[in-house]
Amino acid sequence: MADNNQKDPEPKVGVYICHCGGNISDHVDVAKVAQEAEKLTGVSVAHTNMFMCSDPGQELIQKDIKDGKINRVVVASCAPSLHELTFRSAIKRAGMNPYLYDHANIREQDSWVHHGDPATEKAVALVAAAVSKARHLEPLEPIRVDARNHATVIGGGVAGLRAALDLSRRGIQVALVEKSPFLGGRVAHLNRVNPTGEKAADLIRPLAEAVCNDAGIQVYTCSRVVRFEGYVGNFKLGLKRQPPETPEDLAKLEKWAESGKKEGDYLPFAGYYPQKVPNTAEETEISTGAIVFATGFKTYEPRKGEFGFQENPEVIPLPAFIEAVAKEKPKGGTLTLNGRPIRRVAFIHCVGSRQIPGLHEPDDQGNLNEYCSRTCCSATLQAAIEIREAFPETRVLEYYRDIRTYGRGQEDQYERAADHHVLFFRYEPEAPPVVERAAGGTYPLTVTVKDTLTFGETVEAGVDLVVLAVGMEPNPIQDLIEMMKLPVGADRFLQEVHPKLRPVELANTGILLAGTCQAPMDMGEACNAAQAAAVKAATLLSKGYVELDPFVAKVNEEKCTGTGACVSACPVEAITLKEAEHQGKKIQRARVNPALCTGCGICVAECPNNAIDVMGWTLKQYEEMVDAIVAA
Amino acid sequence: MQTHREMNFDALVVGGGIAGLQAALDLADQNFKVAVVEKDASIGGKMIRLSKVFPTLDCASCITTPKMAASAHHENITLFTYCDLKSISRESDTVLAARVVQKPRYVEADKCIGCRQCEYGCPVHVPDPEQGNFSMRKAIYIPFSNAIPQIALMDVENCSLCGKCAKVCPTGAVNYFQQPEELVIRAKTAVLATGFRLTPLDQKPEYGKGKILNVISSLDMERLLAPHGPYQRVLRPSDGKEPDAIAYVQCAGSRDKTLGVSYCSRVCCMYAIKQAMLLSGALPLADITIYYMDIRAFGKGYEQFFQNAKAMGIEFVKAKIAKIEQADNQSVRLRYEDQEGAGAVMEREHDLVVLSLGMVPEWHPEGICPVGCDTDAFIRTPMSRLSPTLTDMEGVFVAGVAAGPKDIVDTIAEAGAAAMEASNYLNKLNKKAAA
Repeated sequence: MADNNQKDPEPKVGVYICHCGGNISDHVDVAKVAQEAEKLTGVSVAHTNMFMCSDPGQELIQKDIKDGKINRVVVASCAPSLHELTFRSAIKRAGMNPYLYDHANIREQDSWVHHGDPATEKAVALVAAAVSKARHLEPLEPIRVDARNHATVIGGGVAGLRAALDLSRRGIQVALVEKSPFLGGRVAHLNRVNPTGEKAADLIRPLAEAVCNDAGIQVYTCSRVVRFEGYVGNFKLGLKRQPPETPEDLAKLEKWAESGKKEGDYLPFAGYYPQKVPNTAEETEISTGAIVFATGFKTYEPRKGEFGFQENPEVIPLPAFIEAVAKEKPKGGTLTLNGRPIRRVAFIHCVGSRQIPGLHEPDDQGNLNEYCSRTCCSATLQAAIEIREAFPETRVLEYYRDIRTYGRGQEDQYERAADHHVLFFRYEPEAPPVVERAAGGTYPLTVTVKDTLTFGETVEAGVDLVVLAVGMEPNPIQDLIEMMKLPVGADRFLQEVHPKLRPVELANTGILLAGTCQAPMDMGEACNAAQAAAVKAATLLSKGYVELDPFVAKVNEEKCTGTGACVSACPVEAITLKEAEHQGKKIQRARVNPALCTGCGICVAECPNNAIDVMGWTLKQYEEMVDAIVAA
Repeated sequence: MQTHREMNFDALVVGGGIAGLQAALDLADQNFKVAVVEKDASIGGKMIRLSKVFPTLDCASCITTPKMAASAHHENITLFTYCDLKSISRESDTVLAARVVQKPRYVEADKCIGCRQCEYGCPVHVPDPEQGNFSMRKAIYIPFSNAIPQIALMDVENCSLCGKCAKVCPTGAVNYFQQPEELVIRAKTAVLATGFRLTPLDQKPEYGKGKILNVISSLDMERLLAPHGPYQRVLRPSDGKEPDAIAYVQCAGSRDKTLGVSYCSRVCCMYAIKQAMLLSGALPLADITIYYMDIRAFGKGYEQFFQNAKAMGIEFVKAKIAKIEQADNQSVRLRYEDQEGAGAVMEREHDLVVLSLGMVPEWHPEGICPVGCDTDAFIRTPMSRLSPTLTDMEGVFVAGVAAGPKDIVDTIAEAGAAAMEASNYLNKLNKKAAA
C-alpha cells in the first residue's frame, strides 16, 4: 500500500458519483459526469454506484485506496452534513488520512432543484471544483481537547430529572439547573398520568428524591444560566441563583407554606421542594463538558374570546380543570366546582394546536401553532373517564377534529370513554364549535357545532363548563437561544441536527436535547429522549477527551506582522496577540486557540497580509475551485 | 450440529433493525463489547426495505446504510446474521446465556467475496420476497443490493443442485453440505429489538382475504416506490398497467377487534400520506384517495406534512371501508358510508388499492426468553412512564416496535434509552464485581 499520509507530489484523485437510488440519477446523467470527471487533471478513476453510502459503495473507495490507485477522494452525492462523516471514516479505515477528501453536493444543490441537461452540467462543474480542491488538500489531524467528566442539565422537569440521574449513574458529575423553586415540571401539575393511571406524585416524588440524594448531582433551584462560553468538553456557565419573583413561583410557594411541609417533600400541583429559596441573589460559575437542554414546554394561553375564554368564567383550560377536580372528593353523583354543580362539561380539542394559516389568528408575534401537541387527546380522555367514574351524574361531551390515541394503551382509553357514554362530536377546522352565553334556560353556556359524525347536523348543547384542551408551546428561552446560538425550527421548538441520524443533538457540538423543548411528547417519550440524550453525553465524555474537526484558522508566522486585524474581527475571541522574539526584537504575532475557533473565515478576509488561512478551506483551494467552475 | 462455539460479550442485542443497530452503536461507542443477533441474512430490518421516510422524504437507504456500515465496521460490535435465537436464560447473577443457531447459507462466509458470480450463473428463477414477489431472484443470491454482509446464500428449497454456482465461484465458497452451527453467546445484559411484521393481507373476509387482484400491502407499495424496486416505476401488479386511480384503506389491520388488533399502529397514517406524496410525484396525473377514520399526524412536523399533502390535491375521505370487491378490468371496488355527505352507501372503483396494514410483533418470547408480554402481545414495559425500556426481567431491556408500534424517530430515541439503561446496568455489575 502506498503511504498515503505523505504529501504526494502527484495527487491521484478518485471520483465516486452516487445515484442515490434515483434521487440524483433521475435528473443527472451520472455516467456522463463520470466520463467528464475522468478527463480532469489528476483524476485516476471515476466510478458510479447506486448508493455510495452503502457498504459496497464504501468498499469501492477502500479498494482503490488499498490498490494504490488513488490518494485523494471526491464523493459526489447528497449534502455533506449527511454523509461526510461516513466517507471520512471509510477512508480512515482504508489507511488514508480522512481529510484528503472533498464532497460535491449534487443532490440538494443540483438534482433536487434542477432537471435535464442543466442538472448534469452543474454536476460536472461541482465535481470539477471538488477535484481541483482535492488536488490541493493536505493531510490534517483532528484537534483533541480534554473533556471534563461533568454535564449540566438545564430544566428540572421529568426529562431533566431522568437525564441527570442516568448521567450520574454512568459516573458523570451533574449540575441540575432549575429556574423555579420546585422540581417535577409540568408532570407535577397532573393528577394521574395517561394511560397507566398512575399518580403523578408517585412517579415524580421518588425520581426527584433519587436525584436529590445522589452524591454526584448538584441541584440548583431558583437558578438560571446567565453566561456561556467555551466549547464541547470545556464549557463555562455562569449561574444566577435568586429569590423567586414570578407570580407562578410565588403562588406555589404560598401553597407550600400553607401545606406546612418541610424541604425534601412533594406537594401536588407544585412539585418537589428540595431546598430553601435564597434570600439574596448570588452568582456561581460551573465548568462542564456537555449541556443537556430539558427546558420543557408551557401550555397555550387562549386568546380572549377564543371559545369564550376570559369572557365567561365557565370556560377554563384543561390544566386548571385537572387541578380543580383533584381537590374534589369523589362521592358519586355530580361533580361540583367552587360549590357549583357541573351537570354537563364540554371538552374542546385542538385549542392552540393544528392551527391553519388563514383560518386561525396568529398570536402577538405572528406565530401559529401548526403542529399537533400529541398529548391533549389522551389527556382529555383521561380526564373524561375520571369524571365519569367518580361523578357518574356529570355528563361529558367532547368536540374533536381527529382523535389521536396513538400510544400503547391509549386506544383502550378511547373505547373506555365511549363505554362510559362520553358523547363525541366531530368538527372541521373551518367550522369550530361556538361557545356562547345561554339566553336563559338551565345551563349558563351553549356549545353549537356542525357535527360531521351525524352528517353535518347542527347540534346545540347547554353546558355548565367548557374545558379547553390547550396545546404545548416551547418554554420561552430566548435568552439561552441567543446566548448559545441554538438552532430553532419554524415551530419555535429547538431543532435537532437530523430527526433520525442525530435526533437528540443540536448543531452546537456538546449540546443535547431532552424532552419537550424539542417537540411535544408524553412523559414516557420525554424520558426516552432524556435517556437517549444522556447516552450521547456519556459517549462524548467517557473517553476523557473529544476530537474536533481541524477546519480552523492557522497563522503563517512568516507573513504575520501582528496588525491585530484578525483579533478584533474574530467573533468568538479565538485569536490573541502573543509576544515573540524575532532576530532579537520583540514582535507581536497572532495565535489561534483551535478549540474555540469555528473556522468561520472572517479573519482570513480581514488580514491585510494574507497571513491566516482556514485549514481544509484555504484561499488557494477556493481559487482552484472557482477556476474549475469557470472552466467547466 | 457440526460445530459449537462459545463467546463472551458485555451486551447482547437481539435484532439488527434500526432499533438494534442504534442500541448497539450507543453501547459500543462507550467501549462495551456488543453482539448483534439477526435472523435475516442482512442487517437493516424493515427500514432498509422502505423507499423514503416521513416527514423529511429522505431516502430510507441514505439514513439506514450509514448506521448499518458503522455497526458492521465497529471494533466493538460483532454481527451474527442469519441466526436463530433458541433461548436466553439467566446463568448466574451476572451472566445471561443465549443459545443461537447459525443457519447454513451453503456458502462459506469467510470465503465469499460478494462478487455475485454464483447469482449470475444460477439458472433458477424464483419470486423475490424482498421485492414483494413482483420480480424474480435466483436460487443463490445476495439478499439485496445494499445488504450487509454481502454474502450469498442458497435457497435450498428451490435449488436444482445443478452445480453451476460451485463451478463459477472464484473462491470455492459454495458448500452444499454446510451444517447449522450452535453458538453460545454470553453477555451481562441484553436489549430486545425484535421489531414487527405487518398484519396479514388475507385476514379480513370483507377485504377479500388477499384474493382480489391489485389489492396490495403497504410494504409492497414501498417496494414499487423504491428506487431499486421491482419495476423501477409504479405499475399495478396484475397487468403492468400504470394506475390512474389509487386508494389507501386506513386502519386495514389496526383498531379492529375482529382481527385481535385493537390498538393503533401509529405509523400507517403517515406512511400512507408519504406514499401518496411520492405517488403524485411518480404519477402526476393519478388520483390518489385516502379513506380514513382519524388522521394521526402527531409527530414533529407531521401535521404540517399532512396539510401539505392536502394542498397537493391528495383526497382525504372520512370513511371506514366496509367491503372490498373485484370490479371489471381488474379494478377494485370500495364500499363505504359517506360521512361527509348524507350518509349514503357509496361505491367507488380504483385501479390499485393499498391496505394500510398494522403492526404485530415479529417475535414472541414464550419458551425462548422469560420476559412477559402485554395483552397486545408486545413485550411488557412495567415502568412505561419513567423507564420505558425496562422489561420484567432484570438486565433485559427492550427498544423499538418490540415494545409496541412506533415510528422510526421514536424507535431511535428509545434505542438510545435502552442503551443508557443497559450501560448503567453494566456499570452497576462492574462496580459490584470490583467491590
